[in-house]
Amino acid sequence: MPGSVKIVVRPESSASYVRAITKGLGITLKHLLEPNKATQQYPDEKWDLSPRLRGTHRMATHEDGRAKCVGCGLCPTVCPVNCIKLIPAEDENGERYAAVYEIDEFRCIFCGFCQEVCPVEAIHLGVHYENAEYSRERWIYDLERLTELDHPFTALWDPFDPASE
Amino acid sequence: MSEPASETIRLTIDGVEVAVPKGTTVLKAAETAGIVVPHYCYHPGIPTRPAQCRMCLVEIEGQPKLQPSCVMTAGDGMNVVTQSEAAREARRSVIEFLLLNHPVDCPICDAAGQCMLQDYAYETGQLESRFQEAKLVLGRDRIADDILYFADRCILCTRCVRFMRDVAGDEALIVAQRGHKAYIDTFPGKDLDNEFRGNIVDVCPVGALVHEDFLFKARAWDMDSAPGVCPGCSNGCNIEIGAKENQVVRIKPRYNAEVNSYWMCDYGRKHLVMANRGARIDLPLIRRNGELEAVHWGEALTWLSERMPEGDGVAVVSPFESTESIAAFRALLARIGISGGGYRLARGDEAQLAGFPKLKLRAERAPNATAAELFGFREVESLPSIAAGATVIVAGDRLDDLPADFAGDAGFFAYLGSHLSEAARNADVILPITTFLEMEGTFINHEGRLQRFRQALVPPGVARPAWMVIRRLLSLLGDGADVLEAEAAFERAATETPGLAGIAWSAIGPKGVLVRTDGAAAPSAR
Repeated sequence: MPGSVKIVVRPESSASYVRAITKGLGITLKHLLEPNKATQQYPDEKWDLSPRLRGTHRMATHEDGRAKCVGCGLCPTVCPVNCIKLIPAEDENGERYAAVYEIDEFRCIFCGFCQEVCPVEAIHLGVHYENAEYSRERWIYDLERLTELDHPFTALWDPFDPASE
Repeated sequence: MSEPASETIRLTIDGVEVAVPKGTTVLKAAETAGIVVPHYCYHPGIPTRPAQCRMCLVEIEGQPKLQPSCVMTAGDGMNVVTQSEAAREARRSVIEFLLLNHPVDCPICDAAGQCMLQDYAYETGQLESRFQEAKLVLGRDRIADDILYFADRCILCTRCVRFMRDVAGDEALIVAQRGHKAYIDTFPGKDLDNEFRGNIVDVCPVGALVHEDFLFKARAWDMDSAPGVCPGCSNGCNIEIGAKENQVVRIKPRYNAEVNSYWMCDYGRKHLVMANRGARIDLPLIRRNGELEAVHWGEALTWLSERMPEGDGVAVVSPFESTESIAAFRALLARIGISGGGYRLARGDEAQLAGFPKLKLRAERAPNATAAELFGFREVESLPSIAAGATVIVAGDRLDDLPADFAGDAGFFAYLGSHLSEAARNADVILPITTFLEMEGTFINHEGRLQRFRQALVPPGVARPAWMVIRRLLSLLGDGADVLEAEAAFERAATETPGLAGIAWSAIGPKGVLVRTDGAAAPSAR
């Protein structure tokens, strides 16, 4: 028969919220007294990062501060998501250099191919992940910004030395 | 060599039996069997074969030593092995010697990706050098105004020296010094200023010679390439257009035995790199209340078809337009009743390539004046003065040398063009059309050879090929259907002149087709 509803009448004692609240606060109190070791005080307390973590890029430089990049164009070629823009040009000494070098960290998938392919060990991924920004434009890192970063480079696994894993 | 070409011999190369005309070299015979023998100093377009790179050594049964296949004449019953242990070892040694002083600066070398040294070194698979000493550094040199020479990368195959001497007939390059210090230099007291010097960059098997216009511009794998026809002059050299990000970055000659062999002139190269310049028209514009206003195609063409005046007027076509566009323009003129019509043609100095008589930088500096003639346009020195109230229709001609008040008081001025010059701004309607780089079509060269070219770039905005625009306009005027493909445009054009009659689009092969330009019907064959 449609529309028939069974109404259960509960006793007052089991319908009250007071018991549930008291139970919950009791758990809170228990955690206050003996803190849970799994919780980390993140901004104050940082993670121990693996040296092989693939994070924000960084450009290696010569002693005089010039970027090591020679503008060969292998990283934009190998990049699976096309996040690297490179326009090579000739400098005053007739050498090839990167006139424009931009990495869109927003689009980057941090695969590390650019670091692996670089013939002069210029572009590296870094052990760094905190790069929140207020605008998307700020996620496009130009050469100047990439050279100014100072976090550690990502360590590559050496296929000839599997123990380095 | 004096035997008739019909006499064939049979030989076996790597177990494959081939039949070639007597007098063929082993290297060429191997090519017919699909076997590439590595080589540096041999180039099919350069007659001299010094056999000095020693890269093409092959083993021939019954001969005690390895033989250079580029000069070894194939003999009847020969058994050639290109991949024998001894031949491979010889090639490996040659590569090892070449790499002794080579800087291996592939990351910054413009030839990387299409370098024969890179290819063969990779193939040989020798990863490490046994060379203990410091490498000799020779540096780089400006060998001509626009060509750089990187001496360290040079493998001294002397293709450039022999091109200049044996093909260009201008002994401007020599090998200076000896042994490991040898390098290529200009002959003392001579400059490398030949009109065909750019070809030494193309023959260079490595990255030793680099054209300055291309230096550090693009990697080999970055470029999209399209087969084209050079618009520099009426010779119609076949070219390979290398484009990166919709910009022309490199021009290379493409082989056509009937037109340009493996070569092209420097005028053509320069001309095409300049194709990137200038402000383009990318929207149709019509004049309303004295102001040019951007509208969409449908509106512009309807507006034009409603106002198209009938009767005689002045018509100008550009000899840079494709055959299909010129034919469509002629059909439009016939529809509205303009007879005649002219084209302007720039002229310059001629230059002849000594080693290939058919290749000559022609005086007529436009690719398709022959087609303009074929469709009844005549060359004019300068445009006639435009009478007040006259009708003026211009297709393609940039008008950039004309005064800003050109056709200012014309009755009706329609302009189909790719670039907006001061004079063109006076038009009542401006329709954006593509340049030949942005469309598919044909050119007819000075001797009447009809050749196809393909689209290399994406047109700006809503620009369309002129034939597409004009045929659409004609269909609005009640004359025929729309034409949307280059093939259909050509077939329509072929019905409109006896010179092209009977030529099928698919029959225009890589060598082109000769057409009759004297008004008679086309030959049915070829």
